Amino acid sequence: MAETKEESRIGVFICHCGTNIAGSLSVEDVKEYAKTLDGVVVADDYQYMCSTPGQSKIIDAIKEHNLNGVVVAACSPRLHEPTFRTATEEGGLNKFRFEMANIRDQNSWVHMHDWEGATNKAKDQVLIAVAKARMLEDLQPKSVPVEHAALVLGAGVGGMQAALDLAGAGIKTYLVEKLPTVGGRMSQLDKTFPTLDCSQCILTPKMVDVGRHPNIELRTYTEVEKVEGYIGNFTITLRKKARGVLTPAEALERGIVGGGCNGCGDCSEVCPVIKPNPFEMGMAPRKAIYIYHPQVMPLLYTVDFDSCVKCGLCVEACGPEKRAIDLDSVDTFEEIKVGTCILAIGYDLIPIEEKKEWGYKQFDNVITGLEFERLICASGPTTGHLIRPSDGQTPMKVGFVLCAGSRDNTGGVAKPYCSRFCCMYCLKHAHQIMEKIPGAVPYLFYMDIRAFGKMYEEFYYRIQNEGAKFIRGRVANILEDPITKNLMVYAEDTLLSRPVAMEMDMVVLAAAIQPKPEAEKIRQMFGVSKSQDGWLLEAHPKLNPCGTTTAGIYLAGVCQGPKDVPDTVAQAEGAASAASIPIHTGEVQLEPYFAQCIDSLCAGCGMCVNLCPYGALALVEKDGRTVMEVTEAKCKGCGTCGGFCPGGAIKMQHFTSPQICAQIDAFLLKGEDY
Amino acid sequence: MARVKDYGNAELEEKLQDTSYYADDANPQFLEDVKKLSRTAANMCFQCGTCTGSCPSAPRSSYRIRLFMRRGVLGLEKEALNDPDLWLCTTCYSCTDRCPRDLAPTDVIMAMRNLAFKVDIVPRNFLKTVQLIYKTGHGVPNNDVNRAARVKLGLPADPPTTHSYPEFIPGIQKIMDFYKMKENADRILSEGEQ
Repeated sequence: MAETKEESRIGVFICHCGTNIAGSLSVEDVKEYAKTLDGVVVADDYQYMCSTPGQSKIIDAIKEHNLNGVVVAACSPRLHEPTFRTATEEGGLNKFRFEMANIRDQNSWVHMHDWEGATNKAKDQVLIAVAKARMLEDLQPKSVPVEHAALVLGAGVGGMQAALDLAGAGIKTYLVEKLPTVGGRMSQLDKTFPTLDCSQCILTPKMVDVGRHPNIELRTYTEVEKVEGYIGNFTITLRKKARGVLTPAEALERGIVGGGCNGCGDCSEVCPVIKPNPFEMGMAPRKAIYIYHPQVMPLLYTVDFDSCVKCGLCVEACGPEKRAIDLDSVDTFEEIKVGTCILAIGYDLIPIEEKKEWGYKQFDNVITGLEFERLICASGPTTGHLIRPSDGQTPMKVGFVLCAGSRDNTGGVAKPYCSRFCCMYCLKHAHQIMEKIPGAVPYLFYMDIRAFGKMYEEFYYRIQNEGAKFIRGRVANILEDPITKNLMVYAEDTLLSRPVAMEMDMVVLAAAIQPKPEAEKIRQMFGVSKSQDGWLLEAHPKLNPCGTTTAGIYLAGVCQGPKDVPDTVAQAEGAASAASIPIHTGEVQLEPYFAQCIDSLCAGCGMCVNLCPYGALALVEKDGRTVMEVTEAKCKGCGTCGGFCPGGAIKMQHFTSPQICAQIDAFLLKGEDY
Repeated sequence: MARVKDYGNAELEEKLQDTSYYADDANPQFLEDVKKLSRTAANMCFQCGTCTGSCPSAPRSSYRIRLFMRRGVLGLEKEALNDPDLWLCTTCYSCTDRCPRDLAPTDVIMAMRNLAFKVDIVPRNFLKTVQLIYKTGHGVPNNDVNRAARVKLGLPADPPTTHSYPEFIPGIQKIMDFYKMKENADRILSEGEQ
C-alpha cells in the first residue's frame, strides 16, 4: 500500500437522507464497519447530514478528534460536495481534505429491495472513500479574472431580453444573430395570447433598444465560428457573413463620407431576381437584395449571394453618393473575448408534411400555425385578410389540428413531448377568425386543452364563449375534394363516441416544434449537452434551469425546451442574472484539479502537448532542459496527459495515481495488506 | 348505490339499472393477458380517438375501437368480451398505422377475440367460417356467381387454391385439429342450438 505522509485521522459521517438511504440499507452496520477501518478515528451518522446540525457534527468532530480527512457517505457530489467542503473548511481543514461516498444515487436508490447487498456495497464505498481520504493533500483553488463582457447568441425575444438585462447591468454584451435582422420567431407572430397584444408592437421597442443601447454590440448576419477558453475567458470567433451592403459606419471606414445604406430600398426595386421570403413562410416574394419586413433592425439591406446574378443594377440604383453596395464583399472574422455566454437559439417547426395523413404540402388549404400568423397579420402577404391559398376565398369553416406531431411516440418527425404553446395559439387563431370574418366558425380538434399559464384558462373560457367549437378527438386523416379544394377532416368525437367527418374550407396544423438543425454544431462548440428529446440540457431541471454543465454557459428560451413568450422572457432574465454573477464578481475560482509536471521525471518528449484537447500544455526551457508546462487556467483535469505520459511525470491533482491505486487496492484487498 | 334494486319488475330493473362501474368490475389480469397476447403496450392508450377516426368500420357500425382500448386499460373484461362489436374489426390496421402512442389497437382486438374464444364467446358466423375452412379450405368458398365472373374475365372457374387442389385440404384440417378449432366450433354451435 502506498505510504501516507502523516498519521491518518479520518472521520466518517453517514447520512440517512430521511429514508432515502436508511430505508434501504443499515446505516448502523456501515457506521460500525467504518470504525474498524485503518485511519478512522470517529464514525457518526445523522438523519440529514446536509442540515445545519449535521454539518456541525463534522465541524465539531474535526476539532475534537483533530481530523485530517473527512468522508461523508450520502448523496451525489453534484448535489452536496460544496456543502461538505465548506463544513470541512469551517472545521479548520483544507476543503480538499474531503471525500464523498455516493451511497444514495449509486446504491440505495438502485438496490432498494436488497437490504443486505446494499449494506455491503455501502461498506465497500466507505472503505474506498476512506482509502482515498488517507491520501488527500491540501490544494489551493485558482482564481482567474473574468472578462467584463458577455455573448448572447440568438436575437429573438429571449436573446434580446437577456442582452438588454446584461447591458443594463453595465456589462458589454455582444448580441449575435444569424439572420439579417433581430426579432426572431416573435416578430413573425401577429398577436400574442392571452392579452392579444400586437406582437410586433410590443417587440419593436426591444428591437430598437438593442440597436441603440451603448453596451450592446449588435452583430447581425453573423454566426459563431469557433469557441475557445473557459468561464471568465472565452475567446469566440465570429463569422460575419458577406452582406454585400455597407452600414454608414463601414462606408465611412472606406472613405465614403455620408455613404452607406439608409434603407431606401431603391436597390430592391431594380433587382431582377425574385425568391420566396422566408420571413413570410415563403408566401411573399423578396428580391436577391432584400429586407425581411419594414421593421427590421438594423434597417440595412442584405444581398443573398446564393441567388444574386451580379447584374449590378442595384449598385447603379444606389448611386455614387451612398455607394452602399459591394457585390464583391466576403465573409469576415472577428475575435471577441467574453466572460460568459447565453445561448438563445430558438426552434423550428417539424417537417409536418412527413405526417402524410394530414396532407400538408399535398393539399393547398392545409397550412401551419406559423403560416396562419402571416396570413392573419396586417403586415403580412395578404395585409391581414385570411384567405384560402387555393382560390383566395375567405374560409368560413376552419379546422385546427392540435398536437400535430406533438405527444406522438411513432418516431420519424413526430415528437413525444408537448410543444406547450400550440393549444394557446390555436385558441388565439380561433378568436382572430371569429373577429375578422363574421359568421366563420373555428373547429378545434384537441386531445387536451393545456391552458396552464396566468389568464390562460380564462382565455379558453372566452374563446368558447365567442363560439369556437371544440371536438375532443385527434384528427385521423384529411382528404381533399379535388374540385372545390375543400378538406374532409376525419376524427372521432370521443365525448360522443361518434366518428366525425367534417368538410372544412381550411385546416391549420399546430405542428410540433424541434431544435434548430444548427443547434447540434453550436452545442458541441460550447460544450453543452442535450437531453433525450434533443433540446439543450440545463444543469438541473428544477434548481438550475438556466445553467448548463459547462461553467459560464447559460440557456434562454425554447432552445432549452418548448416554452411560450412569457416563459422565454422569464428564463432569459434568469440566464442574464446568472451570467452576470461571475462578471460582477470579477473572478472565478477554478477547481485545482490541474495536471502538474514533475520536472525531474519529464523527458520533454512533448507527446502530451499534442494530446491535450484544451491546448493547456506547452514545452518550455527550464534550467537548461526541455520540460512540459501546464497553463492551469486552461487545464480541465481530464487526465489524458497523465494517463499517457510514458515517464509518469504528470501528476493529476486530487486524482493522483497513488490515490486511485489506494482506492482500487482497498476494494480488491478489502483492507488486507499485501 | 345498490347494484340490484329489487323493483320486483324486470323491465324497470333493466331501465333503471345502475350503470356505474365499480372498482371490483376491473380484472387487472385481463389487461395483462391482452398485453401479452397483443404484444403491444395496451395500458398506454390515452384515448385520443385517432383509431376510431381511422376505422372504416366505425362510420358503418357501432364498433368503436377506442372503447375496447379503454376497457382493456381498465380491465373491464366482461364488458369487452361480451360486446358483439368486438367482431366488427376488419383488421385493416389503419388505427395501428396512425396511433400516436405507437400501439397496435388491431392486435388488441385480436387478443380480445382470442380470450373470448377461450370462454366460448364467438359469433355464429365466425364459427361457420371455421367449418367452411375445414371443409373447403376457404372462409368464403367459390360459388356459381364468382365462377361465371372468373370465366368471363378469362380466368379458370376455380382459383389455384384448395378448390383446384383438394388434396391439400387434409393438411389444413390437420392444423385446425391441432388447435381444436373445428371441434370447438362444432361444440359451441351445437350447444347454442339446444
